[in-house]
Amino acid sequence: MNRREPPPLPSWALEHLTSRDRDDALCGDLLEAYHAGRSDTWYWRQVLAACILSWSQSLTARGPALVFALGWSWLAPAWKTAIDHVPDPLSFGRAWQMLGPFWLPFALAGWMALHAAFLWAGLLVYQSAHALAGQPLARKDLRRAFWIATFALPIISAVTSALAAIYHFSWPALAHAKLASTALGQITDPGILPDLIRIPYFLALLGALWPTIPRPRRYLQEPASGANAQAASIDSDTIALAEEKRPADAFRVMGITVGAGLLNALIASLLVCRLLHDVTEPNLSSVLLRALLFVIVAAAGGVIGTYIYWQNPWTSRQQQTPIPFPLLVLVCASGWVWVPSLLIFGASLSAGVAIVAMIGTYTLVAGLRHAAGLIDAPLQTGLSLASPRTSSLFEESLYRPPANLTGYAIAISLYGAGALLAARDDYGAAALLAFAAAFFAWNRTVPRERSLERRRQYLRAAFRVAMILVPAILVTAWALLDGVTLRKRAAAASDNSGPALSGVGRNRKSMVMTVAHGADDYESVILWPVPQKKQIVPPISSPYALFGTDNKQPLVIRFDGPYRYVQPPNKLPGPNVHEARGTPLEFDIHSSNSLPVTMQAHQDLFGSIPVARCREIDVEIENRDNLAGRVSLALLLTTGSSTRGRTIVVGQQVIATTQPENFAFKAAPVRETLRFAVPSSLPAERFGGFTVLLLPDIEHTFVAPRIAVEQFEIFPR
Amino acid sequence: MTNRSYLGEFELMLLLTVIHLGEDAYGVPISRELELARGRNVSVGSVYAALERLEAKGLVESSLGDPTPERGGKAKRYFQITKEGLRQVRETRRVLTGLWRAIPDTKMDLRMEG
Repeated sequence: MNRREPPPLPSWALEHLTSRDRDDALCGDLLEAYHAGRSDTWYWRQVLAACILSWSQSLTARGPALVFALGWSWLAPAWKTAIDHVPDPLSFGRAWQMLGPFWLPFALAGWMALHAAFLWAGLLVYQSAHALAGQPLARKDLRRAFWIATFALPIISAVTSALAAIYHFSWPALAHAKLASTALGQITDPGILPDLIRIPYFLALLGALWPTIPRPRRYLQEPASGANAQAASIDSDTIALAEEKRPADAFRVMGITVGAGLLNALIASLLVCRLLHDVTEPNLSSVLLRALLFVIVAAAGGVIGTYIYWQNPWTSRQQQTPIPFPLLVLVCASGWVWVPSLLIFGASLSAGVAIVAMIGTYTLVAGLRHAAGLIDAPLQTGLSLASPRTSSLFEESLYRPPANLTGYAIAISLYGAGALLAARDDYGAAALLAFAAAFFAWNRTVPRERSLERRRQYLRAAFRVAMILVPAILVTAWALLDGVTLRKRAAAASDNSGPALSGVGRNRKSMVMTVAHGADDYESVILWPVPQKKQIVPPISSPYALFGTDNKQPLVIRFDGPYRYVQPPNKLPGPNVHEARGTPLEFDIHSSNSLPVTMQAHQDLFGSIPVARCREIDVEIENRDNLAGRVSLALLLTTGSSTRGRTIVVGQQVIATTQPENFAFKAAPVRETLRFAVPSSLPAERFGGFTVLLLPDIEHTFVAPRIAVEQFEIFPR
Repeated sequence: MTNRSYLGEFELMLLLTVIHLGEDAYGVPISRELELARGRNVSVGSVYAALERLEAKGLVESSLGDPTPERGGKAKRYFQITKEGLRQVRETRRVLTGLWRAIPDTKMDLRMEG
């Protein structure tokens, strides 16, 4: 007699569609009951119930992770807006110039680090919350979560961006979506654009946290056998090794702990500065109060970050580092307090950022070097004062100073920083000065005596922080006042240049304008070139009389029309257009949302010119664009008014000075002439103006090229 | 007594069934006993879910048996009540008995009529 077998589909579902946390006992029970005479319907019902229960249990167990991922990713728009200002197009252009195609991996790594830092901070917060609740995550799970978050984010972001690009114009809400101008507004905005930003962060964080669920107790109690036992043995050996207090480990642990605190101080300062740094009416007491608040928040952020790492149960850091936590915090606080001023100077594009980076790094590293004396490590020689070279008297004449690479490194960094400051690359200079200060502080600071009693160590560290706190607050206040001055200057420039011009930043000596959203940004922009001085020319009754049949002289028309900047789906500036005086060479106009910026220049003529009489049109341009990327120029003839007339395409050419093989950093505008042959078969008899379209490549999608039209030259046929 | 948590109805039934079945307490007989006692179908999945909850609370413990051919080579998971589980069952019985005794029969009769 053949035994009845259950339906294959529910059996497959039971094997594959239930959570992996469950073992095989349930499958065996259902099979046994089925063989004992239960019906197919019963079997189906049981499998269905088992699947639902399994997944509801799985979801319930991961509820905290789900809620946390949702809550943390809600902050993502503010973070993204903050880091969008980090990659300076100028730096990208130079990186491309120096590294060529190898620039891409560096750019990708930088992008990943900037975006994943937000997720890493979230994972640390999640881990610390678990640790406080007495249920710390397993070390292996946490490490895996960090990797998943780092590598899942770019993939999910790419997919989300691709989908957003596909549905961009077919989804009106998306096409017109704009981010709020304040960090609080961006966080609280439930709109489509913030949600699109949140989705990759949410999915990446959820994917990272999903496998970190604590396993059921019985799985942990299964006896280790074979490979598991070997792995367990190796793991215990590793732990035993890690528990040895080795100085190298202690330095490494200190470095990571200090880095975690610094990262957290940076995040805290970034958020609080974005919320509060707009001081409109400077008042000394209010500025000082804000500076104090910023410094305290940065220090508190640093303390929390250090504490999170310090309390990590999977590292047992506190056992490995011979420096007690309060002392470490006091030492590091001398560096954290400089973070707000660093950020504020950075936002103002001030060279102060380099000075503050140098001071902050010096105080931090010097403090750490003091504390490093408590670690039983061989001190570095070289410039160190702690280990003077001992030699007998008659040896001195034969003494040869040791080659000191550190000194060379410091000197080269200082020279480099000076050059970068001269080139107005403040961030590069800041990095080099910080590097030099760190080396200098580490080598020239005398480590603290190990014999010093703990109470005196605390007192000294606290006194040091108190001494540094005052200048840090004053420098932060100075940075705030610098920002106020900048805004006032921008407002004054606005009054002089036209209606409602109010810059939101500064790019060297020009205004940064953002084609975007909010009170400070614009939906579309028109730039009017400053009128040239009046030229005295011989009286000519009509310039276009030159186009008589007997004239072969070219007609030169200097460009004095508007440059228009719009975002799709608009083709022309709307009623709320912002108008200003200037040329694209002076202004840096970019999009602060997901819509590209399109740029066109239009020149109206005083009359109409017969197309058939034109043999060739030369467009002379000035190029001051330092983004490596190919830009094309299209020339169109307009038959009516600039807004309603018909346009006829004459041709399109790549601007040679923007081609990668010709790319060079341009400190001054480069002139170039593009020549367009006019076909005699154009579908119009006369034209009354020119329209020049600048067609961007991917590098210029969100940044308008800094290319101005100088003049048109028409050659008669 | 602040950290005491009383057992739910289904949990109590499960614990009593595990006690009743003794060494033969695994998924199939537990579900069958519960069906007989309640007079309606019981999902084996929900039995396992509740038993896992009780195991997490330390009221039962489980161990794997040998795999058998009639179960498709899957092992049985035997459940056994722990001392803590037994204590909680007794405590729940004491509380429920006290509550039942406090209700006069006349009140129950009136409610049944109403």
